[in-house]
Amino acid sequence: MSTATLVHVVVSGLATGSIYALMALALVIIYNATRTLNFAQGDMLMVSTFAGWAAHRAWELPLIVTMLVAVAAAALLALVIERVIIRRSIAATHWDVLIITVGLSLMLRSAAGLVWTHEDQAFPSFFGDRPITLGPVKLAPVSLGIIGGSLALMLCLYGLFTHTRVGRAMRAVAQNQRGARLMGISVERVYSLSWVLAAAVGAIAGVLVAPVTFLSTKMGIVVINGFTAAVIGGFGSMPGAVAGGMLLGVIENLAPLYLPSGIRYSVPFLILVAILLVRPAGLFGRIEQRKV
Amino acid sequence: MRRWALGALGAGVLAWPWVAPRYFVFLASLILVNAVVAIGLNLLSGYTNQLSFGHAGFLAIGAYAAALLTIHAPAIPVVVTLLLGGAITAVVGLAFGVPCLRLGGLYLSMATLAFGFVVAEVILNLDALTRGADGLRVPAGRIAGWALSTDTARYYLAAAVTAVLVAGAVNLTRTRVGRAFLAIRESEVAAQASGVSLAAYRTAAFGVSAFYTGVAGGLFAFVVGYLSPDAFDVFLSVDFVVMIILGGLGSVPGSIMGAAVVTVLHDWLAAFQNFRPLIFGAILIACMLFMPGGMARALRPLGRR
Repeated sequence: MSTATLVHVVVSGLATGSIYALMALALVIIYNATRTLNFAQGDMLMVSTFAGWAAHRAWELPLIVTMLVAVAAAALLALVIERVIIRRSIAATHWDVLIITVGLSLMLRSAAGLVWTHEDQAFPSFFGDRPITLGPVKLAPVSLGIIGGSLALMLCLYGLFTHTRVGRAMRAVAQNQRGARLMGISVERVYSLSWVLAAAVGAIAGVLVAPVTFLSTKMGIVVINGFTAAVIGGFGSMPGAVAGGMLLGVIENLAPLYLPSGIRYSVPFLILVAILLVRPAGLFGRIEQRKV
Repeated sequence: MRRWALGALGAGVLAWPWVAPRYFVFLASLILVNAVVAIGLNLLSGYTNQLSFGHAGFLAIGAYAAALLTIHAPAIPVVVTLLLGGAITAVVGLAFGVPCLRLGGLYLSMATLAFGFVVAEVILNLDALTRGADGLRVPAGRIAGWALSTDTARYYLAAAVTAVLVAGAVNLTRTRVGRAFLAIRESEVAAQASGVSLAAYRTAAFGVSAFYTGVAGGLFAFVVGYLSPDAFDVFLSVDFVVMIILGGLGSVPGSIMGAAVVTVLHDWLAAFQNFRPLIFGAILIACMLFMPGGMARALRPLGRR
């Protein structure tokens, strides 16, 4: 196989991986604050992308405004879900909350189908169709756009978590809730904020990926890839989520080139399980020392 | 009081095919199958705290094993087929459990999720044996020269097998293994300090859980009569997790109630078509908000009276 093909495949793998990474980041943001796994994260992505699409169709908005609408819809949705449902189950176990998010996922998917449509829809893209040629290598602008957009968003998140008061408060809650509360941080506000932030990250990922995968009520299934990516990286670690996502995307795109088509869906999973066997807490995770 | 309640329940289960229409006999068989899976999953998740998102994979292995045995060796009695299916699944479960010993919490859930995907794809690719996506028709099982070709016959088979497995699960806590499971459930550290080998019992839990699920898979094959890989997708695994959390982690009656509620809801809501997931999701959320800890905990005060 030529190097040019390989480069092309790796780049589209990185594009897929960026989306997985953003999904993983969204899951990790909520998990770090509230220790819950949000099974509905993918369906929140889907609903907010649909909201942007509906606004775009109704008022012929420019794309950047469409994205803002999607983000706003995501923030509102997350705020409502957190305040009305999750906050009320604050005393429940993590398993109970997991089932609540499973229920939410079903409801959101069904509601989106009823309000909008269950059929696939085309979604406008920021980027053109004409491939960018670099010597022998041809790259799809949309792949580069997804990678660039995702990296920009990740940098923003990095800045938020390291250089702002809010970000520091979120990290403090992730490390030690009681300690954070004693330092005067409103843990409840951080809960809400984490849901809103995670949903916003998901919405941007949704708007970036929808032109490639089409907009459909089934796109929420990406939560499983995001979960896989986050686990590979070490659940709770943000650099890990990014690395895990990229790795998953590239492996998934490379596997069909070298392997018979029959096993191509299994192989990424087998590789990932193999990684976990060598590093049981993921690439960037640390094994928690239990104290008695 | 308790003995009377159990007696009434037993009589109800026995009389069911004589009072209920044919379709509801089939539905009851399905509840029994799901109850066995839920009990198996609960032995793993409720006791040793390992949540599996791959039990549809174990169910598929048991189902295909039983179906293929019936097709290629029709002389074997149904009960032996079910046991063999369970044993094959248990071996797979043990083989899977050993490398996963190092994984905890979400990492283990991820590995089980992967397991489910891989099983579905293996079934799809072994099409010489499993007929892949076309699906496999399962012939009626035989017992002492008598074919189990009616819904009622299959129902009684499922009921008998379930009764034995429920009795096994309830009495498990009277054995050394069961007490070790309980100790691990209460505190892994304390159990280890008392000489309970965490590695050995976590692996054993995988084996037992896979055995239950494998037997349920065999029952599923006979009850439904048709197998195809897409019936065993990740959403089925999620359904099993829903059953045990809704019913109550670590509780055998809870597993049965959870299985019954989820199965009946799926069936009953089929009439609502597009609204089905909406209503099902709303019910799940309401249950968890108003009955944290599941039905077993909500009903506990009644049992004490």
